[in-house]
This record gives sequence, C-alpha cells and structure tokens, in this order.
Amino acid sequence: MSFVIVRDVIKEYETAHALRGVSLEVEKRQWLNMVGPSGSGKSTLLNIIGGLDSPSSGSVTIDSTGIDRLSEDDMARFRREKIGFIFQQSHLIPYLNAVENVMLAQYFHSMSDEKEAMEALARVGLSHRIYHRPSQLSGGEQQRVCIARALINSPSLLLADEPTGNLDRENTRVMLELLRKLHSEEHFTIILVTHDPFVSKWGQRIITMEDGRIIQDEPVHV
Amino acid sequence: MKRRRFFFFFLKSISQRKGRILIASASVTLAVAVVTGMFGVTVGIREKLGTELKAYGANVVISPQRGDYLQYEMVKAVSGIKDVDEASGQVFGRANAGNQVVELIGLDISSIKGRGWRFEGQWPARPHEVLAGTNIRDSLKLAKGQRLELVQGTNRAEYTVSGFFEKGGSEDSAVIMAIPDIWELTGLEGQLSAILVRGRSGRLEEIVSGIKGIIPDAAVKTLRQVALAEESLLAKIQLLMALVTVVVLFASAISVASTMGANVLERREEIGLMKAIGATWAEITLFYKAEAVLIGLSGGMAGFVFGWLSAQAVSKGAFNSFISMPFYISFLSLASGLFIAMASSYFPVRDAMKYNPAVILRGE
Repeated sequence: MSFVIVRDVIKEYETAHALRGVSLEVEKRQWLNMVGPSGSGKSTLLNIIGGLDSPSSGSVTIDSTGIDRLSEDDMARFRREKIGFIFQQSHLIPYLNAVENVMLAQYFHSMSDEKEAMEALARVGLSHRIYHRPSQLSGGEQQRVCIARALINSPSLLLADEPTGNLDRENTRVMLELLRKLHSEEHFTIILVTHDPFVSKWGQRIITMEDGRIIQDEPVHV
Repeated sequence: MKRRRFFFFFLKSISQRKGRILIASASVTLAVAVVTGMFGVTVGIREKLGTELKAYGANVVISPQRGDYLQYEMVKAVSGIKDVDEASGQVFGRANAGNQVVELIGLDISSIKGRGWRFEGQWPARPHEVLAGTNIRDSLKLAKGQRLELVQGTNRAEYTVSGFFEKGGSEDSAVIMAIPDIWELTGLEGQLSAILVRGRSGRLEEIVSGIKGIIPDAAVKTLRQVALAEESLLAKIQLLMALVTVVVLFASAISVASTMGANVLERREEIGLMKAIGATWAEITLFYKAEAVLIGLSGGMAGFVFGWLSAQAVSKGAFNSFISMPFYISFLSLASGLFIAMASSYFPVRDAMKYNPAVILRGE
C-alpha cells in the first residue's frame, strides 16, 4: 500500500477551483517533486496532504491514516508525529536562537533536548551558528535551521513548499545536496513543491500540475 | 521538565513584547484601581457616613410598654447587638422651678456632644451641673453659672447651669442633666424611660428584631425619617460609584482587548507555525492564557495599590481621616485583574485559533 494516497481531492473556494479532482499515490521513501505554474494548485495540494488545509471533497491517507477524518487536535498530533514542514519563508521565531527554534518543535512533540537539537543543527552544517538568532543568519542558513527543525522528530514525511524560492543558485544547490544526503540516511518520504526546473531534477519522480489537475507524472531523468 | 520548557519559551516570548505587556497591564491596573478605589470608598463611606450621621441622633427608640420603665442594664445588652453603633438611656421627668414646671431629660451628656446643636457655655463636668434649653433660659431669665433649684415631690436639689442649648425642638423647653442627677431627684434609681439606639443604616430591621429578642415586651420604633434619609443618601452614593465603576471597567476591558488583539495579530505567523509543527489548540492557547494571567496578576496587584491610595486620598479629602479597607479587597482586586485580562483576551485568542495556517504561512 502506498504511503500517501490522495483520492479525488477537490478544493473549491468561493470564486475558484484550486483542485479539480486530484488523485495521487506516493511510495514510502520516495522523493516526489510537484511543479507547475503559479495557481496550478500544487501548494494547495501540499497543504491538504499536510493537514494544514482541508479538501472540499475527496480523501487523503497517510501511512494508513485517513487524515481528512481527524479532528483538528488529532491532526496536530498526527502532524508532529509523522510530518515535517519546510516553507519558502523560513518562519523561524525571531526571538529564539537557532537551537531554541529546533527545540520548540521538540517541545510540542514530546520533550525538548538541547543536545539532540544541537546534533540536528550539526547535521545541517550549522554547529557554529547554534546560538545565533534568525536575523543573524543568512537565508541559506535559515533554511538549514528549518530542515533541522522539520527533521528533529524523525518524521516519515517531509513536505517542502518552495524551500529554495528565496535562495540563490549556490545556496539552492547546497540545500538540495543536504536534503539528498539526509533522505538517503533517514529514508523519509519527500514531497517538494517548486517551479524551478533546476530543483525539480533532484527528486525521483516529478508531477506537473496545471489548473488544479495533474497533467504529467514521470520519473526524473538525470 | 516540560513545564520548565514551557516557562522558558513563555518568558522568551514576553521578553520580546515588554511594551505591549506593560500597556495591557497598565490598562488592567487602571480598571482594578478604579474598582478597588470605588469599592474601598463605598465600604469606607458607609462607615464614615455612619459616624457623620450620628449627628442626626438615634434611629431606633426603645420605650417601655404601659408607662413602665426599662432597666439600666438593658443598655449594655442592646449595645452588644450586631450593627448597633451606640446605645444610651434617657430618663424623663418633671420638676418645679419656682412656679414653673420644667421638663427634665436625664442622659449621658457625652452622647449629645457633636450633634450640631447650638450650644453656649460649658458642658456639665461635675454632679449637679445641668444644661438648660433656650426657652427655659428665657422664661426663667437664667444666666450661665446661675444656681437653679428644682423640686420634685418631696425631693429638692440645687443645680448649676453650666450652659445653654438650642435644638429647635421641644427639648429647648427642658433641662438636661446627667442620669445619676435625675435619678436622685426623681427617685427612679436604675430605671430608664427610653433607650436610644444608633444602628447601622440598612440593618435596622435586624437590629429591631435583635432588641425584641432581648426585651420582648418593649416598644421598639425606628425613626423612619432619619433612617430613610440615610439609606437614600447611601444608595445614591453607591449607585453613582457602581455606574462609574462599570463605565471605567468597560473602557479598560476594551483597551485590554485591543492590546491583546494587536498582540495576537502580531503573532499570527507564530501561531501558524506552531500549528504546522504540531501544536494543539490547548498548547497554543496556554501561552496566551499564561500571558493573560501575568497581565491580570500584575495589573491586579498594581491596581490594588493605586486603588487603595486613591481611596485613602478621597477619604482624607471628604472626611479628613483614612479608611480601613477590608483585607478581602486585596483578593477582590487580584480576581478583578485576572477576570478582566482573561475575558479581554478570550475573543482575540479564539479568533486567532481560527486562522488557517496554510494562508498565514504563505504570507497572505
């Protein structure tokens, strides 16, 4: 059984259809990239898979759990157990330093452990920046803190929405190499939204969306 | 450990928003200071007005049935009834002064001091010193320090007129003397014609039933005019205090709510992020509740201090003395502070929890 199963998901807003009946299956440990123009529905689909948004109809199953049937609090608990998020903007808490931002995710999951949080920052190459606040970090460093925060609770699914959108090419490459390394070591599933053709080549599978539908689904050709 | 981490993140959070917390706390302080001050003044005013209104005289009169007398010991028993401020006995009699019959009132001289009667001369300080009403003074052509012989049946005694009084009532035709003096002249040793009671306004019915429990066969009357005037005055003052309190409380609650609202709005991204990393409704609102508790307690404590000071200032200005505020007002102040802060933050936090994290985190 696939790790992520999306069935006939429709998302309607008052004046528009964001998703028009999307179905998708993602295997465990797979790295899937979603590409498409702005407004094609890729971020909406990612948010629905992560339980940050709910579908108008259809169902989403992750690791055999139908998340569309979970209450808000149960969804929050499911999210902290199973899912890690990386966003285009880092969304780090400005008054917490790097290690404290990572520890905040631990706090909501179970128990925060500073040593473990420092190790997570070391894995993303930031052992020398752990006590720096977000405003003292570069954009690339901030995104690496986000990776550490997303992976600190060992999620089985990593959802990334334009994670390199604010980075230059060099920082994008550094970040993707880091993700590839962590993916190969920790074997989580990745669903990554991007409109950057350079980024879309880093996964194993690529789907293309347009006007709320999946119009192409193919393996990545390196 | 989890609790320690909560306080760690909570303190980090509020340390970044000291200004807003201070503004919210100052709003609560203002509200609590008004509540405390008004409540303190209301409680104190009742006490002080009670003292001031003593000038009106007694508001309950106990008299014997069937032309009988009351026993002097009953004064002490009546004084012990709850909410009775003061009780004193009076003996009425008549005597001849020359060819003229004069009314005699025997009472505790100290009980009529400070009642606003017009007075000239000196208060009786020794036995056989008396006060004469202005009508008696005029009809007998008395002068201060003059000797006055009073005859009652076979008893005869001489008195010194130490001063004169004018109340504007029938008492102005009487001679006032100490109770032992009238007992000696009339032979009514240990007996009283009436007991005058000064009771706390608003508690007169309870006082009357207390008196009837002690002296079942006495006639007990409240002086309705005095009692009603006092009640009406107190009720109007309390209504005014309550209205001002409600208005200020409402204004302060709006101020706290808007501060909390701005605070929550400022932290939308943070709330969205917390939701995204798996925080439940209860875990997120705990931070806001703790903030409201902090604002409520700090505002409540500061409000109590300012309210206490303002109540004392009002009392000093109005009564030229300080008031004693009941200890429970400090708890009432803290509870008011907590209530205002919690109630004011309820709606902003509830609205914040409705934010769609997907929308917030996209930066919309």
